[in-house]
Amino acid sequence: MSGPSIARTPADDRELKGVAALAEFRIGRLMIAMTYASVAVLVIGVALMVAAGISPLSGGPTFDASQLIAELTSMSPVGFLWLGLVIVIATPIVRVIGAAISYGLASQGTMVAIAVAILVVIVAGVAIAATGSV
Amino acid sequence: MPVGLVMLGGGAVAGAFGSLLGLGGGILIVPLLTLGFGLSLPEAVGVSLVSVIMTSSAAAGVYLERHVANLRLGMTLELFTASGALIGGLVAVAIDERLLSILFAGLLAYVAFTMARAPRAEHGPEIDSLDEHDDDSPLAPTLDRLSGAGYRVRNLGRGVVGATGAGVASALFGIGGGIIKVPLMNLAMGVPLRVATATSNLMIGITAAASAVIYLFRGEIDPYVAGPTAIGVFIGATLGSRLGHRIELRYLRILFVVVLLYTAFQMLMRGLK
Repeated sequence: MSGPSIARTPADDRELKGVAALAEFRIGRLMIAMTYASVAVLVIGVALMVAAGISPLSGGPTFDASQLIAELTSMSPVGFLWLGLVIVIATPIVRVIGAAISYGLASQGTMVAIAVAILVVIVAGVAIAATGSV
Repeated sequence: MPVGLVMLGGGAVAGAFGSLLGLGGGILIVPLLTLGFGLSLPEAVGVSLVSVIMTSSAAAGVYLERHVANLRLGMTLELFTASGALIGGLVAVAIDERLLSILFAGLLAYVAFTMARAPRAEHGPEIDSLDEHDDDSPLAPTLDRLSGAGYRVRNLGRGVVGATGAGVASALFGIGGGIIKVPLMNLAMGVPLRVATATSNLMIGITAAASAVIYLFRGEIDPYVAGPTAIGVFIGATLGSRLGHRIELRYLRILFVVVLLYTAFQMLMRGLK
């Protein structure tokens, strides 16, 4: 059972384009903020590394998300380095999530589907690598 | 820590070169870390991917704020670059490192060749004429939706194939893939150069992120190397973008071509050992 179809007017289209443009602006701001945040966290990590006399070629630990909070609270250099690197990698992914939300608000189903498909590819990569399938 | 300072400085030089010449910088980071610091190729690629994402995100944020990038086209192609990067990230472990070094040498030689002829090649449609063939195709409504003000996107099929290839190359070599994506969008898909450059920059982040997560969870990103290098690349790219208009790019381009060819030779020798 479907209700009466309501045709979209040019005014509706302009409003939706305005929503998308504003969302792009906000996503852009968020990306810049995340990039500077990651640089700041990495600088702290490198400063702690220098203070602890750790050589970059000494061989760092592998990433373990469950240890991150403990490493940060103990002011361990590797905690800040991992946090900075995770923010770096997360920035474009957050942009895709933001775009999916904004396209959803603008009723653009195809673009929402594309954004979700990109996220599925990323999650598949994480799942395959984390389970050691490769 | 002199090694850390050299790493940071090397990253800054790679970032500045990349920014001044329109490349991501990854093309120099991998040889720097493998030939200069003795890292394995997968470790160097993992660090390079992180650095590439960092410089791409900062620039992409500005492009989005100013509405220069075509987000719809970028996201559509991103689906294929990310898929290519996933494939490349999975395939990378199966390829012998010496073969990968030889392939990287080939990539460096290709980029050197492209840079050497760039002044003549950087032309593309500023305002595209309508493509009659595409008008008749079932993809015409999709192409309309992906087009921007003053230009019409065409050859989506070629774009999809090229974007997938760029994703595979990104994951294998730790590069952003702009060297493939910009000509693809500009020359094959009819996107103006300025929009193609901005859209490529936007796509680099998610392309590199798709394979960076694989390298991260496989334990091939060393935080002690990635931290100083990524900071260096960020500083270099920021300085490069501010100094670009004050530097004679012709001589810098020649120097870059020489550096690339020398590095290609060294990578080739590494692969043949």
